[in-house]
Amino acid sequence: MQAENKQTELTPAEEKLFEELMPEDAAEIATLGVQRRHFLKLVGLMGGGIIAASMFDNNALFAQTAGASAARNIPPASLENSVKVTMRVNGKIQKLETDSRMTLLDALRERLQLTGTKKGCDHGQCGACTVIIDERRVLSCLTLAATCEGKNIKTIEGLAIRGDLHAMQAAFIKHDGFQCGFCTPGQICSAVALMSEANAGEASYVTEIIRGKNRPLKLTDEEIKERMSGNLCRCGAYPNIVSAIREVHSGKSA
Amino acid sequence: MPEPGNPADRIDGRAKVTGAAQYATDYAVKNMVYAAIFKSEIAAGKIIHINTATAERSPGVLTVLTYKNAPKVKETPAVWGGGFLQTTKIDFYGQHIGVVVAETFEQATHAAKLIKVNYEKAEAKVDFKKHEGEAVKAKGTDRADAIRGDAEAAFSTADHKTDAVYHTPIEHHQPMEPHATIAVWESADKLVLYNPAQVVNGMQNAVAGTFSLKPADVRIITPYIGGGFGSKGTTWGNIILAAMAAKAVSRPVKLALTRQQMFNSVGLRQENKQHLRLAASDDGKLTALAHETTTHTAVNSEYIEPCGDCSKLMYSTPNSLITYRVVPMNIIKPSYTRGPGKAPGSFALESAMDELAHQLKMDPIEFRLKNEPDKDPSNGKPWSSRSLVQCLQTGAKRFGWEQRRALPGQVHKDGFRIGYGVGCGTYPVNQRDSSAYVKLTGSGTVVNAIVEMAASDLGTGTYTILAQTASAGLGIPMKNITVKIGDSVLPPAAGSVGSVGAISFSNALNDACVKITNELMAKAGKQFPAGTTAAQIMISENIADFETRSESKAPEEAKKYSSHSFNANFAEVWVNEATGMVKVKRFLAVTAAGKIINQKTASSQIIGGIVWGIGMALTEESVLDPRYGNFVTRSLGDYHIPANLDIGEIETLFIDEDDKLSNTLGIKGIGEVSIVGVAGAIANAVFNATGKRVRSLPITPDKLI
Amino acid sequence: MRPFKFSSATDPAAAMQAAIANVHAQFLAGGTNILDLMKEDVARPNELIDINRLVLSQKNAVADTAGGISVNGLAKNTETANDPMIRQNFPMLSQAILAGASAQIRNMASNGGNLNQRTRCSYFYDVAMPCNKREPNTGCSALQGINRMHAIFGASPECVAVHPSDMCVALVALDASVKVSDSKGSIRNIPFADYHRLPGTTPHLDNNLNHGELITAIEIPKNNFAGNSYYLKVRDRASYAFALVSVAAGLELNDNEIKTIRIAMGGVAHKPWRASAAERFLTGKPATEINFREAAELEMKNAKPLEHNKFKIELGTRAIVKALSIAMNGGGKI
Repeated sequence: MQAENKQTELTPAEEKLFEELMPEDAAEIATLGVQRRHFLKLVGLMGGGIIAASMFDNNALFAQTAGASAARNIPPASLENSVKVTMRVNGKIQKLETDSRMTLLDALRERLQLTGTKKGCDHGQCGACTVIIDERRVLSCLTLAATCEGKNIKTIEGLAIRGDLHAMQAAFIKHDGFQCGFCTPGQICSAVALMSEANAGEASYVTEIIRGKNRPLKLTDEEIKERMSGNLCRCGAYPNIVSAIREVHSGKSA
Repeated sequence: MPEPGNPADRIDGRAKVTGAAQYATDYAVKNMVYAAIFKSEIAAGKIIHINTATAERSPGVLTVLTYKNAPKVKETPAVWGGGFLQTTKIDFYGQHIGVVVAETFEQATHAAKLIKVNYEKAEAKVDFKKHEGEAVKAKGTDRADAIRGDAEAAFSTADHKTDAVYHTPIEHHQPMEPHATIAVWESADKLVLYNPAQVVNGMQNAVAGTFSLKPADVRIITPYIGGGFGSKGTTWGNIILAAMAAKAVSRPVKLALTRQQMFNSVGLRQENKQHLRLAASDDGKLTALAHETTTHTAVNSEYIEPCGDCSKLMYSTPNSLITYRVVPMNIIKPSYTRGPGKAPGSFALESAMDELAHQLKMDPIEFRLKNEPDKDPSNGKPWSSRSLVQCLQTGAKRFGWEQRRALPGQVHKDGFRIGYGVGCGTYPVNQRDSSAYVKLTGSGTVVNAIVEMAASDLGTGTYTILAQTASAGLGIPMKNITVKIGDSVLPPAAGSVGSVGAISFSNALNDACVKITNELMAKAGKQFPAGTTAAQIMISENIADFETRSESKAPEEAKKYSSHSFNANFAEVWVNEATGMVKVKRFLAVTAAGKIINQKTASSQIIGGIVWGIGMALTEESVLDPRYGNFVTRSLGDYHIPANLDIGEIETLFIDEDDKLSNTLGIKGIGEVSIVGVAGAIANAVFNATGKRVRSLPITPDKLI
Repeated sequence: MRPFKFSSATDPAAAMQAAIANVHAQFLAGGTNILDLMKEDVARPNELIDINRLVLSQKNAVADTAGGISVNGLAKNTETANDPMIRQNFPMLSQAILAGASAQIRNMASNGGNLNQRTRCSYFYDVAMPCNKREPNTGCSALQGINRMHAIFGASPECVAVHPSDMCVALVALDASVKVSDSKGSIRNIPFADYHRLPGTTPHLDNNLNHGELITAIEIPKNNFAGNSYYLKVRDRASYAFALVSVAAGLELNDNEIKTIRIAMGGVAHKPWRASAAERFLTGKPATEINFREAAELEMKNAKPLEHNKFKIELGTRAIVKALSIAMNGGGKI
């Protein structure tokens, strides 16, 4: 768990935000530095507040609230058929005791407070719950948490490194590869894994030459579309998603 | 007006790509438990007995609510679809009949399957084809027969005419985020609901009315909405059950509908049978138009989407007949679905226009241009602006329309037949009452702003366009602006429905920016040069903080004009000659929608409408089993919303319009119009490719072999 | 989901013994179908035995054998489709696997599980509806219901469901066999065409695997179709949808004459459907579209469509012709 008194450096913009929204805590923050409870309060106060431009680092904010998630990771009183499982999630060891029925999706969301991974259908028919397990994209809604012993799981929260967005995340913003954003974590996890699949020369149903492997494989738009068809987007951001992936895949800015 | 950041990246983009954006069920609420709804498995009749004993004994279960023990609430028409556990009566298959609350999600969902119900079945009307003959005139006056001239007489003497029935099936919104709630009673009469809402204050009032609370005691928190498309524009019974459940166990409750439950919980686009007749003279002038829609509604409540709306004003004709007939059926109440009425209506109208152009041996664009009305034919009002001609001409050039062969079935390549089609669309412009709050804080040469209103962003880009509007209106860089929306404690605002969002929100915020600038000038008590911004006054007068709140409504003058967005859609389809599978290879939408605040998010929204239109044209169909009244297509594996590979190359263009007659900022709205005309363009392209006229959507492979 | 006991096995014999000990136990491999069905309350095991960590004698996804190849029953669909030996020698199998589901699901789904996946008949999936497959003697809702997706071959009044797999269509065309072990250590090989069953009066049985038995491998004999084969899938959506009709086609040509031919269909029957009549007709004949069409029509003569799936006869005919034509021309994509 994050130490309560760990001091965090604030940017001037972040300082401004605390001053503006939490004047009553300003003195304390000035003397003791910002603490986890301040971030938690800020999250509550902000409600829907979105600051234009990315001066406020959501990721840093998220890292701070991770302490709270550990506090919530308590098995419920009436656990049935409990299974103990230890997995690595975004680099961090997580020990869980779950109902045997609990899916990885629900374990991430309800127990580890990693709510970036979304429940769109819970039946493997939409892709919103896509996460990366041991370098492969999979559906967390059809994965029992109990089967994840020793697995290395990466979720949308684990893609940015110390606040620096993954190239795919940045490309999704640049190309407006989403509207409502609900399928986006799944789309991005899927797209990140797709890059490795292309590097390994893996085929798809629309691959022209199945016999003999091309590696790395240069993906046409048609290939990207087929390979991303397991991630539904009701807002219809598909063309922009393809643009974002094309840019990251080709390494060429468009 | 300056255009800061046009096009701008979404200011909520970072939150959305990192997973930090919090949707309703993402909130960590202490002591929370889980609820699961169970639903009726008959379409009409009543419950004789519900046995909840096994469920109640199931581990972790805290309570089971049914009609027997649910608290009494007021069934207000503001909450749609019924199912508040107040009665044993069943009106449609899938009506909510109870809710289980348990310690965990696994326990609640399992226990909900242990409920045993005995019913007394009544005869149910679920087969539209069987009951369409019973349809009668609509109760609502806005769906009354609209008659101009004498269409029947004109048909009887016409040189050329078409007479056909177009059919569109039940379709479902299916936003990626299922409807879901976390309900928290902060005290006996103070309720907080984390719940996606397109209309924040509308939901607040609906819930307050149901529980006999003061609206101020119901708080709706909805900063992020995982899509809505109309389904989250009205309030449905699930939110009421969440609040009831939370009350019953005195703990916060999370209640999410399952994807399967979404099919009969939160409305649908109704099945429409549209009888379309057109008549024209030899020279291609329309002489009559009749658009007669037959559809269904709920047994006890009427909603009819306005399929005939486009036909009222799209083309000039001296004789026009628009009617609606409706039959109440045991199906959940239909509701607003993207491009309500206009999307299916334009499929019928634009198909018929294509059919008549073909009969006249006239290019379908030329045919449309010949029938361009100089004022609104339905009410005689002048247009505030209408750029349909420019949409068609610009689009034809850009798309390479001249390559289209007039005769269908002429172009073959690699086992495909290729065709081009055009279809037009329109949607009305409305500004609704909204209020906004602006707070400025100055420090040295930096001025920051917080802007607030109970608006919503369901992917439409509200956050971003409000930051842009405030930036322009206050003279403050976007990065110094904080936008707070999606919470009912903020100043009341219109909703993101019917394309009123951007118009209402941006104008209200702009008005607030003008007001605060004027008030700052008054406070300073001196003259400033024209164009002086609020930020400049804050700095020059060294003001530390200043705030204002304003309320806005549509300008009175606007009523004198007919104000609508218009578009022209161009489709190139490739039909696989062997399999009948249709691919929309290329699509161009040219949209005239007044001021486009953000070219980037606007283009995305238009693309979204096109993808919806492609789904409507090719893949989407909800099928009821007429014996039971249940949906057979009850999952995303059976109900096919388009996947990435279904979508070809899409281009969007905007026609510049400076329309200050409709509202101060000249915004006309794009979310709805973006789907209108799309299915028609695709169906027309399929005809051009194959010579087959498909009048029943969706155009699945079986219809083309 | 109903409560169940969870265990994870590493030793195949122990896993099978555990299964034998409990008639309500099921193996859990990829989980992509069983968990879906458990959430729907269609599958109701009270024990799941995780077999993902089993140590099988065959370590690799695909192994060379004297007569052909052996595909690991627990290997994932993705690694199978992308195995160099499969892509080179059995490209039709790669295509069939890749035509199914989505990348994520193929990363999870095991080969054995693909064989054992259950029908997607929506009446089977909805526990409120009568269904003989789910609950014997309750009736078949699809027979007189919405049966657009249902069988045109081999159905019975008890059940008109179709098998949903793409992979299996290629496997039956490739004359594969299913290698099955039981808890006593005995091994049997079931010819692929005999692995899945027709519904008859026992629609609750999808296949001939006994409770507690484990699919350890799928064996595919060598053939000469690699240069002239194709898997064609026709569906309502371009991707991520089950087949209306699909066709696996393989040709061995002697100049233009058909020396050997394999045709199998998906989306038409309770099991992957081998188009034997069409194969017999075409063997020894010139590979022409006219002959393909005649063969396809001959095959489709035996079809017995339902109210809403009559289109499958013409669609199936066209799909056979198209798949054979593509195969004849080298088997690229459409």
